[in-house]
Amino acid sequence: MTVTLVIPTSPRSDAELITACIAGDEPAQRVLFRREYSRVHATVYRLLGNLREVDDLVQETFIAAFRALATYRGDAKLSTWIDRIAVRVVFHHIRARKPSVSLESVREPGTSGEIEDQTHAREGLRRLYAVLATMSPEARAAFALYAIDGRSIAEVAAVTGTTTVAAKLRIWRARREVTRQAEADPVLSEFLTTRREETP
Amino acid sequence: MSHDRIRIPVPAGDERRVEREVFGQLAAMRSVDRAEAYAPRRRTPWFVFAIPAACVAAVAIVLVMFVGRGRGEAPSTVSGEPSIVVTPVGGSSRFTVGDAIIDAGGDTSVEVQKSGDGVTLVLQRGTVDCDVAPREGRAPFRVIGGNVQVEVVGTRFAVTRVGDGARVDVTRGKVLVRAPQGERFLTPGETWTPAAITAAVTPSVPAGEEPKNPSENDPVPPPSANADPLLPRPTTAPNPAGAPRTTTREAFAAAQRLEAKDPQHAAKAYRVIANGRDAWAALALYSLAELHAGVVATSLRELDELARRFPNAANAEDGAWLRVDVLRRAGRNDEASQAAAAYLRTFPNGTYAASAATLAPPR
Repeated sequence: MTVTLVIPTSPRSDAELITACIAGDEPAQRVLFRREYSRVHATVYRLLGNLREVDDLVQETFIAAFRALATYRGDAKLSTWIDRIAVRVVFHHIRARKPSVSLESVREPGTSGEIEDQTHAREGLRRLYAVLATMSPEARAAFALYAIDGRSIAEVAAVTGTTTVAAKLRIWRARREVTRQAEADPVLSEFLTTRREETP
Repeated sequence: MSHDRIRIPVPAGDERRVEREVFGQLAAMRSVDRAEAYAPRRRTPWFVFAIPAACVAAVAIVLVMFVGRGRGEAPSTVSGEPSIVVTPVGGSSRFTVGDAIIDAGGDTSVEVQKSGDGVTLVLQRGTVDCDVAPREGRAPFRVIGGNVQVEVVGTRFAVTRVGDGARVDVTRGKVLVRAPQGERFLTPGETWTPAAITAAVTPSVPAGEEPKNPSENDPVPPPSANADPLLPRPTTAPNPAGAPRTTTREAFAAAQRLEAKDPQHAAKAYRVIANGRDAWAALALYSLAELHAGVVATSLRELDELARRFPNAANAEDGAWLRVDVLRRAGRNDEASQAAAAYLRTFPNGTYAASAATLAPPR
């Protein structure tokens, strides 16, 4: 006779996971980390435009999140709450350092025919983040979350801890500044044209 | 309303490394939290307690004078209850006794006895680093470590239990050491060790400079990097008067930041932290081994040190797996296979068990 043991593997709910994490259950903490890592990594990268420091800031975000998890009240989704911490960590990082833009952002393998395009893309990206570096961290974050990370205005407001009107205003101002710079910079203009996509 | 989006591909991050760092640091923080829970921290501003305490003391003095006169007796001595501060292995704790600030190192047990005759710390094991105001006009302050008694004149000093006695390192001011071999004043930079019975006093560094932390039992000699003013100092090092104190966590974070830009300097910084005895030392040893992964002999030596000194560290499993990785990358497949088998024996349900099983020789 064959006996098959079926172990339920359905993902735990946020509430169960949070309770286990607060109780110091490390496997649960690792589940949460692995579930949230990709999104936090992408968000931090898009806010920063610099891969070199992303791992450190993601690490800082998760340490802060696990240390503060007991204070999570559940008035926002857990992912939004973690993103809010990530944005705060990046804000702090941007404020603490002098503006600089790294060229190593989009180092992807490619064929010889693609090298020129990639160099162009890298330069376009560098120029975009150079423009963002001249803005306030709030405007930069709002623009990056909306225009690069693809979040809605309501999400941007929730993650940056502001009203939708303020978020909309910041995005609008930042976009106006990027457009203004692109008019005088053909490399940036081309980068924006080729990289732009319209989503409903 | 349509939503213009700029497509920017996101390069992959090193998820495993980030995960390891996050959980390693959380484990280190938990051990520090546990250590701090043993003793009150010196965080409250002094005047919060000083003003009410001064009022109570004034009232008490007046009462004692009146009662003493009435009975024709001298004021009695007030005896405080002794209390014991214990820190776990890898932990540390700061507490105050009157005007003295005491830092107890990892695996330390110290009894605090207060009496009319002053304050006495009885060090049962470990290390205490004491910052004590000059005693002129104040109650005496003593530290007893086995058969060695240290009487404070007003100073900063560290006492470490060694065998039946203790080792004493003075950073600032002056202490009187009483041992079975006799009495001796120690001044800044001087050290008393039980071994130096005849010499009694061994000047370790010129007066005025910061002496090295007592570390007779350290398996690793103090690195020359300690002298580098650019490097962070671990918290266990005695702090000269007025110098800002860098926490080990800050030092570790600084070393991590240095890794990409200046690996040599980062390695020196990690080595300074690794010479400590707390959880950060285990993390620093792992980071050193990972940093030296291309230099197989060095990396393996550091992993040996991690396994020997911190067999129960939070990152012991990662260390065991890094050994497999280092050997595999060096093309030493047989040794990697043996290391994978060793990993599986110790961590049969570990994070890397599936990968280890593919490498380990069949049973």
